[in-house]
Amino acid sequence: MSPPALDRNRVAVLGAGRLGRAVVSLLKGAHISVYDRRPSALEELAGSTDHPRLSTTTDISEAMQGASLLYLAVPASSLAELCTDLAPHGLPDQMVLLASRGVTEGFQLPHQHVRNKTCLRQIGVFGGPLHVRELSAGRRLNAVIASRFHLVVEKVREVSAGAPVHFQVSRDVIGVQVAGAVGNVASIAAGMAEALELGDTARGVLLARGLLEARTLGVAIGAEAETFSGLAGVGELIPRAVRSMERHLDLGRALGRGLPLDAALAAVAGHVEGVTTAAESVALARREELSVPLLAGVQAILHGEVEARTQLEDILSLPLELGSR
Amino acid sequence: MRREDQERILSELVTRLGAAEDVPKLRERLEDSLYFERQRLDADRGKSPAYARDVQFWDGIRERLRKRSGEPPAALLRSVLRFYAEEIQGNFDPRVYELVTRFAPSGLGLMLNAVSPLRLVQRLPELPKMEDRIVIQGEVEHLRRLHERGTVMLVPTHVSNLDSPVVGFALFKMGLPPFLYGAGLNLFTNPVMSFFMRNLGAYTVDRKKQDPVYKSVLKEYATLTIEHGYDNLFFPGGTRSRSGAVERKLKRGLLGCGLSAYVNNLRRGAPNPKVFIVPCTLSSQLVLEAETLIDDFLKEVGKSRYIIDDDEFSQPKRVFDFLTRLTELDSKNHVTVSRGLDVFGNPVDDEGRSYGPNGQVIDDRRYLYVEGEPQIVPDRDGEYTTDLAEAIADSFARDNVVDCTHVTARALFRTLRRRNPGVSTLRLIRTGGRDEDLPLVELYTEADNLLREVRAKAERGQLRLARSTVGPADEVVSDGILHFGIYHKKAAATRRGDRVLLPDRTLLLYYQNRLEGYGLEGGDLLADDRRSLREVRP
Repeated sequence: MSPPALDRNRVAVLGAGRLGRAVVSLLKGAHISVYDRRPSALEELAGSTDHPRLSTTTDISEAMQGASLLYLAVPASSLAELCTDLAPHGLPDQMVLLASRGVTEGFQLPHQHVRNKTCLRQIGVFGGPLHVRELSAGRRLNAVIASRFHLVVEKVREVSAGAPVHFQVSRDVIGVQVAGAVGNVASIAAGMAEALELGDTARGVLLARGLLEARTLGVAIGAEAETFSGLAGVGELIPRAVRSMERHLDLGRALGRGLPLDAALAAVAGHVEGVTTAAESVALARREELSVPLLAGVQAILHGEVEARTQLEDILSLPLELGSR
Repeated sequence: MRREDQERILSELVTRLGAAEDVPKLRERLEDSLYFERQRLDADRGKSPAYARDVQFWDGIRERLRKRSGEPPAALLRSVLRFYAEEIQGNFDPRVYELVTRFAPSGLGLMLNAVSPLRLVQRLPELPKMEDRIVIQGEVEHLRRLHERGTVMLVPTHVSNLDSPVVGFALFKMGLPPFLYGAGLNLFTNPVMSFFMRNLGAYTVDRKKQDPVYKSVLKEYATLTIEHGYDNLFFPGGTRSRSGAVERKLKRGLLGCGLSAYVNNLRRGAPNPKVFIVPCTLSSQLVLEAETLIDDFLKEVGKSRYIIDDDEFSQPKRVFDFLTRLTELDSKNHVTVSRGLDVFGNPVDDEGRSYGPNGQVIDDRRYLYVEGEPQIVPDRDGEYTTDLAEAIADSFARDNVVDCTHVTARALFRTLRRRNPGVSTLRLIRTGGRDEDLPLVELYTEADNLLREVRAKAERGQLRLARSTVGPADEVVSDGILHFGIYHKKAAATRRGDRVLLPDRTLLLYYQNRLEGYGLEGGDLLADDRRSLREVRP
């Protein structure tokens, strides 16, 4: 006898924070069960949406029951814990979608937590300029969905049918995640440049260098270089350059104004993944013998080892070409 | 294989692969087959025994394809499929198989006959008994259990043509029936060996055939035998490791057969549908074909020649010498059976249940579900097979048995490098560095450090150590040098007083490579020097 099948239209959103709230409006056509440990977060989410088929629970197994897609809506730093919690209830035919943009110790990418801790293999990741605010303003989004499994891409399209999103498809799960995570570190640098009044050009050059360094690191761990010229790379660079509201920018601005890291973090609302990503990127570059002056510079500024203005000006004077040391 | 299964597998194969396709595409496929086979036959120029038969067959196909007399191309494709499948299956005689498997004691003799060249020289009184030389260890009981609960694909590491007789013998000692085994056509050239190999389940693989249709027939044939419950033996490295290193990159083509067979089994509700992949690591102190293999590696770093038909294996005298010398030294061959995996790379227990990374039993059938039903989905299944290949490679690394020869070779290389800072591996191999010889004392120190490192790794389960590495460094090194001197034409290293000479440094590289990829101090020679090796070929 065959075990019970999953409901093709049911999505479990695990995490009712910022990422969770954002995705709900994308999942137009699905039944959604949202899990969070904090009843207050669930209430807030329920209050912020008029989705007709949404339920909330503080029981992760209940949320996952029958769901054919699990959307893991937590920052990278909480993924390991979430994966441990969901592992006992996961089924091999359940698919996973990730949107975390950061890395953890040892430059672990979000999908690696899922692989290392659970039996789930059919994984997809969101990337590119997926900005929640635009969605809530009713504008059309462009986003990348990267997966080695075309069924995952089909599933995401199916459950988001009717939502104003245009998906571009990639198979480069590693590249898309690296571009997103390392781009955040470049945004910190851009914020600093702004606060230090280094000018728009400087801001653009720093972001462009960030993308090149992301590519260098990505390729070293198996990403495809072309990914960084696509929507997940250049495609996100431009919005990063023109956008003015973003946590990583805010953190950079605070640091640029001379605040030490602790105070700067306290001044920014929400979790800033770029701080850990900077440290891990530098460590990875050292292991792989790669040169990443921007990432190393940001890391040094974050920890008060160097003065921001001099450091950024040094970086700006470097030619924009990268290679191994 | 049972006779009724033979015919059933053939016709099922033709049905599956001959399924309807539009006519222009079909014609294209047949034209491609003709092209590839023409190329192969032109290069062969009558050397292979099947040359005349093949030429005749393909001439016929061309004729029928050109003649627009109305014969549907689908019928031609079916002829091609059957032609290939029959060659792969060979002239298997079920009666011989029955006899061998029923009468175990006499079966041993036959078995050795069948899968090894040993019998050919066995009348010589000094010939070593395999029994004394082969140490079977690891998850033996587990393998027997899995054999009861489903179909097993045994996937060993591969360094020598002697590997298949060793595995054949090990299977016999473990009380298991012979496994089906795809053997290179070059191993069938001896008629005596060929007769027994075929009758003990070896089917032929002609690696010179580039026709995609042939490759699909081969895969489908393996898949079908697994579906019919025949345990299979594959060397997932695809060919003997040229560098001597434990295989890290595996061929996914044949590995994926397990998954296809499993899906088909589930879909038709077969009893014991599961397919278990059991990695098996073969380790030895010396390798018969070491010189040829490492030469090939250095010549063609990055793209191996794949088919060598003129190596030590084809010289009975050398095979004989090799085995005799090893016996004199009481040298051991280790066959280490690893824990079984499901076709997705998850570990399984004795009952064949799959376990997820969190140590919980999982229903592995669900990996194959689309809308609640098991289905073949090529891109997804390819990813699963990549995962499986990785899990197998991890098992190989963990169950590789490091011997005195490997420790000695690596310690010698370290000594060489220390005395010649900045000199590339390749240059060291060619010139031997600035010294005529090396002081034994320095070698001992290096070996001592290295032993400390590998012992720590062995304790953590990252590799295994042979008994020859248990003693103090000087004993291990002496044993290693002794082995280097007994068989190879030129020794990798020899001792003179308190100095060591290195007559054949390529062999040294070959044996040290067995310790590559473990993150040992001094880095990986292969990784560091791959580029320089590629640039300047010796």
